[in-house]
Amino acid sequence: MRIRKFLALLLALTAVSAVALAEFDLSKTIAVVSREEGSGTRGAFIELTGVQTKNDEGKDVDNTYIEADFVNGTSLVITTVAQNDYAIGYASLSAVLHNDSVKMVRVNGVDATTEHILDGSYAIARPFNVVTKGELTDKLAIDFMTFVMSREGQEVVASDGLVPVANEETPSYTPAGLSGVLVVGGSTSVAPVMELLGEAYAQLNPDVEVDVQSTGSTAGVTGALDGTYMIGMASRSLKNSEVEAGALGVAIGIDGIAVITSTQNPVEDLSLEQVRQVFTGEITTWGGLSQ
Amino acid sequence: MRGLFLASACVCILAVLIISAFLFINGLPFFRAYPPVDFVLGTEWAPLRDVFGILPMIVGSFYVTFGALLLGAPIGILTAILMARFAPAPVVRAMKPAVALLAGIPSVVYGFFGVMLLVPLVREHIGGTGKSVLVASVLLAIMILPTIIQTSLAAINAVPQTYYEGSLALGATHESSVFRAIVPAARPGIISGMVLGIGRAIGETMAIIMVAGNNPRMPGDLLKGVRTLTVNVLMEMGYAADLHRESLIATGVVLFLIVMAINYLFSFFNRRRVMQ
Repeated sequence: MRIRKFLALLLALTAVSAVALAEFDLSKTIAVVSREEGSGTRGAFIELTGVQTKNDEGKDVDNTYIEADFVNGTSLVITTVAQNDYAIGYASLSAVLHNDSVKMVRVNGVDATTEHILDGSYAIARPFNVVTKGELTDKLAIDFMTFVMSREGQEVVASDGLVPVANEETPSYTPAGLSGVLVVGGSTSVAPVMELLGEAYAQLNPDVEVDVQSTGSTAGVTGALDGTYMIGMASRSLKNSEVEAGALGVAIGIDGIAVITSTQNPVEDLSLEQVRQVFTGEITTWGGLSQ
Repeated sequence: MRGLFLASACVCILAVLIISAFLFINGLPFFRAYPPVDFVLGTEWAPLRDVFGILPMIVGSFYVTFGALLLGAPIGILTAILMARFAPAPVVRAMKPAVALLAGIPSVVYGFFGVMLLVPLVREHIGGTGKSVLVASVLLAIMILPTIIQTSLAAINAVPQTYYEGSLALGATHESSVFRAIVPAARPGIISGMVLGIGRAIGETMAIIMVAGNNPRMPGDLLKGVRTLTVNVLMEMGYAADLHRESLIATGVVLFLIVMAINYLFSFFNRRRVMQ
């Protein structure tokens, strides 16, 4: 992991220093950069942009352009896009916000910013949910959720690069001094921030152990319903069938996905439909976008 | 002392046995859930729909390995011949550490070199996005050069000097003595060098994942992307769960079997040559 970060940094530095002098050629092929199968970011992106469709059997079909460049990591997406003037990719907003090597494209005329994600105008954003079976009754779980939604908990959420759901009135947390083991499980995308939350909570409540299991959003909801997990995690909205079965979802933070291009790319604005067409390979040249 | 020797040998053999056992025990359950024929001969890879076909990756692995050998073997063997029989001693003294250094460069560095230099070069001057079979093959060819050179050089140097002198005595020139008498005698060693090279090429992951584009579809065009078996495992291991994860271990099993088959095949041919 450390090697990859180091490499990404090196790549980024070199890409930044190599400023292209040539005019942007609209007849060039769009170099689509995608994450690998199974990535949570890819799952959310294809769902929100319509790259994913349902087939006749009702199964989800991922129509990502097969000639895309597949890379396995957020930082690799960013460096690959930074290096190629004709590339386009997507990455978690938090990773792109403070990165000048790539440019964020407006989607449907809306800038990808935390404000626009909060007011819902930026189209490609997904809630990170925690899921419980009805209202919580377990004291420890209630206290943990109080922490997660408190000012301290939301600071942890923000520190992981998510858009927190807190505002000025959010109360701060006072440790209740409980003890026990809290089992949280589900989405692999939510798990990292949940682990941070668990560590912060265990520091304030030394007798509590928070066990975070990353199994996937669906497994998280199912686990919360059947009692395997006290609290489940899902990086998507709940399905109707899950709500009917008694699942209750609460957003603990919102994750935006930015569409990124090279800083040399003159394209500033894409419609959601154009994003879909690019990532399914229906439009393959930059010139094709203007039609 | 005897115990120490025995223990050393056992550690080595145990490692092989444990790795094989681990791979097969973890990989085989997948084949109970998914038909092996569909797995090995399927051309579609869509893990989220539980469709696991790795034929594109098998073909991809062979494709880039063959490309690497096509470029690397002639260059490597000719370099070895040059170092053994043609180059003056000071040149050889300079080349030997250079080749050794080439062997010692970590594969991420090769990958970095590929993605920063070769990929943009191909993108700007030949076409495509640059992440391609071509770049992967060129990069692998460079990576297997030291293996081929060192093994071939050792094999050529091991040929008795009398072969060369005998050839000269019959009136042959220096060149034809080298190419007609010495090199054929060193053939088994040169072939093992190529097998080792194939082994390195087919197992290489880190450098390839950075330059190959990693498209899970049948490879074809030299300028388009390709995904190899090793890349398939590394790329998706981080997020894979359940059957998807098992399918990646099963991919490892297939790779393991392929490498074993190649090694066996070459040692079989080698043995027959030696016996003739």
